Amino acid sequence: MGTSLGAFPSSSAAGVKLLNGQYEVLTALPLPGAGGGLPAFAARHQPSGRTDFMAVRASPGAPPRANTLARLEGEVIPGLLTPLAHGPGPAPEGGEAYYVICPEPPGPSLAAPAASGSPWGEAEILHYVLRPAAHVLEALKSRGLTHRAIRPDNIFSGGAKNPVVLGCAWAAPPASLQPAVFEPPYMAMCAPACRGEGSIADDVYALGVTLLTLALGRTPLAELDTEAIILRKLSRGSFEALAADAELPSLLADLLRSMLAEDPAHRPSPALLLDTSTARSRKVTTRPPRRAQRPLTLDANPVWDVRSLAYQVATHPEPGARMLRNGAVTDWIRRELGANQMASTLEELVRWRAREGGTEDRRADSILVLRAVAVLDPLAPPAWRGILLWPDGVGPALAAAMAKGNEELAELRDFIISHAITLWAAQQGSRVDAATLRQQAQQMELWLRARAWETGIARLAYALNPLMPCASPLLRGRWVISAAELLKALDAAAAQPEVRRLAPMDTHLAAFIAVRQDHSFYLDVWEAARAGPPARLVLAELNLLVAVETRNNLGPLPQLSAWVGEHAKAALELWHSRTRRAALQQQLQALATGGRLQPILTLLDDPAALQADAEGLQHALARIGEIDAELAQIAAGSSTRAALAERIGREFAAGATLAALTAALVAAALG
Amino acid sequence: MPKSARRLDTGHPRSLLWVEGALCGIAAALSPGTALLLVGLLAPGLVSLALDGAPGKPMARAVLLAGVTASISALRQLWLDGASLDAALNLLEDPLRLGTAWAAGATGWLISELAPIITRLLLDARSLIRAKELRAERERLEAEWSLPAGHPPPPSPPPAS
Repeated sequence: MGTSLGAFPSSSAAGVKLLNGQYEVLTALPLPGAGGGLPAFAARHQPSGRTDFMAVRASPGAPPRANTLARLEGEVIPGLLTPLAHGPGPAPEGGEAYYVICPEPPGPSLAAPAASGSPWGEAEILHYVLRPAAHVLEALKSRGLTHRAIRPDNIFSGGAKNPVVLGCAWAAPPASLQPAVFEPPYMAMCAPACRGEGSIADDVYALGVTLLTLALGRTPLAELDTEAIILRKLSRGSFEALAADAELPSLLADLLRSMLAEDPAHRPSPALLLDTSTARSRKVTTRPPRRAQRPLTLDANPVWDVRSLAYQVATHPEPGARMLRNGAVTDWIRRELGANQMASTLEELVRWRAREGGTEDRRADSILVLRAVAVLDPLAPPAWRGILLWPDGVGPALAAAMAKGNEELAELRDFIISHAITLWAAQQGSRVDAATLRQQAQQMELWLRARAWETGIARLAYALNPLMPCASPLLRGRWVISAAELLKALDAAAAQPEVRRLAPMDTHLAAFIAVRQDHSFYLDVWEAARAGPPARLVLAELNLLVAVETRNNLGPLPQLSAWVGEHAKAALELWHSRTRRAALQQQLQALATGGRLQPILTLLDDPAALQADAEGLQHALARIGEIDAELAQIAAGSSTRAALAERIGREFAAGATLAALTAALVAAALG
Repeated sequence: MPKSARRLDTGHPRSLLWVEGALCGIAAALSPGTALLLVGLLAPGLVSLALDGAPGKPMARAVLLAGVTASISALRQLWLDGASLDAALNLLEDPLRLGTAWAAGATGWLISELAPIITRLLLDARSLIRAKELRAERERLEAEWSLPAGHPPPPSPPPAS
């Protein structure tokens, strides 16, 4: 892109944080438009001194694509800005941000004014865009990956007569930055974070819309909003909706017709696109859905066809469920569309709904809508209470909902525990791998199982998003993705007095550790301890932190150990002996300055010593009982003592006088 | 009721009383001077013997024993003077001798009255010291083991006698 770094000083000085130990993010040099919708900055490869790299910044609520990054990192695919490294680096505003390092784009994007001003010719499109893109998609497909960010502003050209290069698509959830027009309607109807990895056929669709945009010299349907674009594509079919009025070269028109097929199975593979003549001869027998004579009005929206009906029911679940239950939908389908089998299937679902729950059973209604939408339009994604999301989009959806902190989290939780994915997959037949989806859904449900639903949802979010940073408020401004970094970040955070006032553990930290370190046991203990005395909670927190410290063999963490030492004083309440507590407190203060957490835990969580302490308390209580009994005996013994004193006194008097008599007799006898 | 129980109830067996009376009568008949001297010198003890209703007559016993102690020299003198009635009367006419015997009886009475009181005072003092020690130990235990508030309070200290 022609970044000039000549005047930019080399910062080999100490203190510059290098990403992956190699790349320096030059936050003072932004690269507008290079990041495919995300902020991008120039980056320098320190070992070589090369500066033709860029760092694309990720957002915490939209974590990078961990699986794709792991598979592609370091690989070279011609025509693609493959990721070279990724990790936390300095943010321009201070603190940390997460970056994906890619080669710098070779030139401006196809959406730049110079490139998008006039329509492209068919030959240019085929040679410089379609073929290089198809090569890239084939390479991705062979690795089981997708791109999901193909659109003109993320495709770059090094100049006229140069093959294009597909941009970076790794720093955000798949397709999350795609405008609705570039996505198949069944992807566009999902929220950006809910679209999932999809398949290479979805990339072919996006490539088709991109080719159409270049051929037209403008973005189709640019005047419509997302909802209108989706409805138009659903009712007319994508090709008709996008290119009905366009005058396209015949080869390109034939290619686009198949590339923009609604059913992913009908779209040509990238390999087929390399042979355009074969690809154009591949006829796709897709027809737009049958249009009714009279519309069905659902929540004031007129519906003319079954795909639009499925979409409206999915996005308006409450009136949709009502109309399904009262038979309005099935009557309309029978009368207007003549789809008797579909109507019968829906009636069976409604009967099931009547058996399963009462009229106010929200979950039963949600399941009814989920299954009805799958029957009405088998290509549609699972629909749950107005949320449409593909099963592999659950992770990014959770990350996005968690960043917003909205009520969607509860709906997503219900989506999982209601086995919605399994129910949806059962309606799909051979279209999906139901067994795999069921296994994945069961695994998600296992992660969700926790005493507090917030903990479960956080654990699931971290499990499904390996590069999602820990969202604990204690780590604000830091991007922590591993448990080892977590303790270092906590050590750094402990330097702030306002942080030190809080406990060194919260729901996010506990869930994060449980996932990243596979310490679900300690998470369960911590959750159980939250309902108990503070001392037990402190020990549970300490156990979680020590588990991380032990497994990662970290160096001294002086600030964290001091913080934990202060906070762990509450654990001394477990000890009953004041003398022992005082001794422990002294030892705790000494250990808190040592930078290690394990000795603190060993000191406080000593079962044998605690048992001895408890026994000591029991002995003390028993002794107090004896003392109380003796005191009571003394208090009640006045009359006893009086009788005893009387007897002893009399005996003494007798004894004394007898002794005097004896002495007198002896004296008399002696003369 | 068995005989032994009957003896305990009365405090003095009736048959023994007869024997004692008989012996006293024989002694008075054989040595009237001695009997007279003893009656005179031990009059307070004989009176207290009649008045003391306590089992075993502890007060009378102390008075009599003290009186006998003080009467030994008079008896010895009587036997040296022939143990006649005149000699007994001569001895009884000596106010010092009579006063000494009776004062000894009074001392016996005083001892028998004061000894229980002093003993009671000693026992109460010992109980107070023990109660104080126990309360101090209890407070030490409470403090050492951080016993929760509301633990049953200790019984109130014994009343002073």
